Amino acid sequence: MTLQVPTSLRIALLAVTLALASNLAVIGFIHWRTYDDAIDAQRQRVVEEAAALSDVYRSGGPAALNAALHDALTEGDPQLLVAILDGKGTPRSGNITALAPPPARLKAGYRDGQVRIAKAGKPIDAGYVLRRLSPTRWLLSGRSYGERLALQRTLQRSLLLAVALSVLLGLVCGLLIARYVAKRVSGIAAAATEIGDGDLSRRVPISGSGDAFDQLGQQINVMLDRIVALMQELRVLTDCLAHDLRSPVGRLRSRIDAAMATDDEEKRNLLLAGVVSEADALMRILTTVLEIGRSEAMASRDQFAWLDPRELIAELAEMYEPLVEDSGADFRLETRGVPLPLFGHRQLLAQAISNLIDNAVKYAGAGRSFVVFAEQSDRDVCLGVADHGPGIADSERAEARRRFGRLDTSRSAGGAGLGLALAEAVAHLHRGRLELEDNSPGLRAFIAIPTGA
Amino acid sequence: MPVAPAYPHAESTIAMGRKILLVEDDSETAAYLVRGLSEQGHNVDHVADGRDGLFLATGGDFDLIILDRMVPGLDGLALLRALRAAEVVTPVLILSALASVGDRIEGLDSGSDDYLVKPFSFAELLARANALFRRADGKAGTADMRLIVADLEIDPLARSVKRGGRAILLQPREYRLLEYFARNAGRVVTRTMLLEQVWDYHFDPGTNVIDVHVSRLRRKLEEGSEQPILHTVRGAGYRLGPAE
Repeated sequence: MTLQVPTSLRIALLAVTLALASNLAVIGFIHWRTYDDAIDAQRQRVVEEAAALSDVYRSGGPAALNAALHDALTEGDPQLLVAILDGKGTPRSGNITALAPPPARLKAGYRDGQVRIAKAGKPIDAGYVLRRLSPTRWLLSGRSYGERLALQRTLQRSLLLAVALSVLLGLVCGLLIARYVAKRVSGIAAAATEIGDGDLSRRVPISGSGDAFDQLGQQINVMLDRIVALMQELRVLTDCLAHDLRSPVGRLRSRIDAAMATDDEEKRNLLLAGVVSEADALMRILTTVLEIGRSEAMASRDQFAWLDPRELIAELAEMYEPLVEDSGADFRLETRGVPLPLFGHRQLLAQAISNLIDNAVKYAGAGRSFVVFAEQSDRDVCLGVADHGPGIADSERAEARRRFGRLDTSRSAGGAGLGLALAEAVAHLHRGRLELEDNSPGLRAFIAIPTGA
Repeated sequence: MPVAPAYPHAESTIAMGRKILLVEDDSETAAYLVRGLSEQGHNVDHVADGRDGLFLATGGDFDLIILDRMVPGLDGLALLRALRAAEVVTPVLILSALASVGDRIEGLDSGSDDYLVKPFSFAELLARANALFRRADGKAGTADMRLIVADLEIDPLARSVKRGGRAILLQPREYRLLEYFARNAGRVVTRTMLLEQVWDYHFDPGTNVIDVHVSRLRRKLEEGSEQPILHTVRGAGYRLGPAE
């Protein structure tokens, strides 16, 4: 079983460790650069000198010791400190005037401390050894630190203190950071939990500071907006599909019922032919919905090839010419500019443009004419149709692009409302757009494909 | 000069005894196809597994392979590619529920000769199968052979058309339409076959755009002649040939 450590604790530990590591690195570096063994050497020397004096006392008694002290003092070693102290630590002879601060009790052995060598002078740092000669007589022998050694001692002490402080500060920092992170993350987590529980309207709270957590939150919110929009679209699409398939299935049923009821074979065959064409229409709706989905998902891009937009338009115009003529309308082919070759899906582009032509035939009306065009604009190749029919009002254009989008009854004559949706999906597949513009009067519907794409 | 055969009334009597391999895992579809094709006088071997299919296809001497794209064992397209890599040139008709234009193009690019989307009508399948037989037999004629259907005479080199000795002036596309009909004379040609073969479009336009072309062609062919030659076959498509 793995030990579950709360994330905030882990962050705190990490912060402590990092603070410690960086502080210790600096402290260690300073220590390494400034430490030498001068202090140790001086200490050793003080201990040796004290041992020598103590030997003198043991072998020669107080008189020999006094003589030795006198000799030592007259040698004029500026660092040497010697003194005979009474039981309270007050110097009776020697070259120091006081221990600073005066100790409550004297203790034998080495210590670092401060002594005064002049009555009013500042205490100086020194290392010295105290030896008890008799209950009222103590021998002090030692050496004052020079300025350099004193500084070094201070530094070493400060470094030790710094280590202790860095541990403390690291802990405090770690806890603060952990608390902060936990607070911000728990805001996001709480939102995610509610969203996971089904409340898709919930969003990650944004503090407004624009920091990384805010950015994360904003990204999550943008993603959620997109998901909600897609789900909405999917729901509408599913509803529409279910709704729009009801009528052809209903017609199918009623024709089958009628065919089953009739005794007249001729009539039955006619009805069954109608059944087949209804079934085909149903299949066509399903295939088109599928095609739109695939195009929006950028499938089939591997089937792209270079093609001449003028040729594509001309082929389609030729294909539709008899149909348009039979419907009583007429059209002409126009090329503006020199359309650059397109890297695209000939089949899908042809299907998309044929939808636009179909719409023009349907809505331009008898006796009217429309234009099928290929045009090179600044950045796009535009392929489409311009008619002088009723057009589509600004407010209705979004509806027109929607799958199963229905405009007012005058425009919904026949068709499943998938034509423009497919054209738009194919435009997206080519990283382009479906444009619906006012042709004053009428509609200019075209697919604009960036030539750089 | 090849002479057009006399066309009997029923399709079945023309294409006797073809050997067809059917690779299809859906038992209902398979039974429907086996029954239908057998009624047409064909000899159908059916397997439900892609690996068995590949084994039979490379060994057997089939006139046509009808291949479902999604069969267990070996994916239909992989089977097809393996077949073509082994230089087996048997015509392949893919049968698939994958209906998008992209899927169709992918299927055709993988080396199939035709692609039919499920659900399909048996008439459509039969028409396409017959067109493939004909093409494989070379009965459809080479590019420069004159085509004769009843009193209609087509010269592919000059792209000229005569009916009963009278020249008929056709637009280039009308000519291509007629030539395709003539190469499949006496047989049903469906709208989607025309769209695919004459226009090279693999989407369903959903309008009667093809019918309008055909009726224009018919007007030109039958102008000043008593005998109809381009017939509408209800629920299926068209047929070029003498009246039945």
